[in-house]
Amino acid sequence: MARLNDDAQWIVLMGFIVSFSLFFLGIVINQSTVVGQTTAEGVLEFPKNDILDIRSEVLQSSKITVAADFDDVKKDISSIALSRKNAIVSFRVTQAPPGSTYTKIIDIHYNNGVTAYNETTNY
Amino acid sequence: MVNSEGQLFTIEGLAAGLIMLLTAFIVVSTTSIYTPGDTHISDMQLEQLGSDALRMMNTPNTSADSAESALQSIIKNNDTDRFRETFLWFCNNKTGGAYDILQFSTDVYYRNTPTTSVNRFHFTESRKPTGGEHAVRVTEWVQVDNTAGGSMPAEVDNRVQAVLVEVLLWRD
Repeated sequence: MARLNDDAQWIVLMGFIVSFSLFFLGIVINQSTVVGQTTAEGVLEFPKNDILDIRSEVLQSSKITVAADFDDVKKDISSIALSRKNAIVSFRVTQAPPGSTYTKIIDIHYNNGVTAYNETTNY
Repeated sequence: MVNSEGQLFTIEGLAAGLIMLLTAFIVVSTTSIYTPGDTHISDMQLEQLGSDALRMMNTPNTSADSAESALQSIIKNNDTDRFRETFLWFCNNKTGGAYDILQFSTDVYYRNTPTTSVNRFHFTESRKPTGGEHAVRVTEWVQVDNTAGGSMPAEVDNRVQAVLVEVLLWRD
């Protein structure tokens, strides 16, 4: 570089800076596709409707007065949820203690391996 | 060794080339920012729409004649026509203008007591799926009283039971 004219070093430097910053901007844009996908998948895979639905079905089943029918429905819910939703569902309905404002205490457990939902509700 | 006087010009040329290439890359890639995730947004909306329609159908009646929800009596009486009409009406209805073009296919899953297996019977559909549809699956639990006199298909037990109504929903 001895005999070389070195007047324009700033131009070279700016050229490098601009090209590298553009390169990193390109990386950022590439990443945005991955982020969009994981977000959408996260929302899709969260079993919001499944849980709401199981919950309303359990509350409805708690109204069943015949013990044999209740056991049948309980088995239906557990086995169909396992085979169609890959979710373990179990619930229990107990009578509230005498003098309570509520008539029943309901425990619901839901677990599909990713999302677990547990609830104890007075009904 | 060749004459090395023009090295700075070479470097500047390289830098300029890089800048132009990267600008072109960014300009081209901005047109395809439609990410794979964005395709899921319409799926999510369709899923929500289907769940809401089923939920509306499964909302218990407040009238005095029957406490059963529409969906309960539809499944209990195997009333496929009413299901098709109601479901399509809920899904395709709009505030104004032409109807939407959603199609569905419905199966019902039930537990068989003797074999303790979960079985399925096909309920109804608006159009036969070809397999190429981009469908979403929406479900609803329904409690059916299929004791003696129930008109569900013969293979379903005659007892009070919970069945799962599964609907494949797609836009034609």
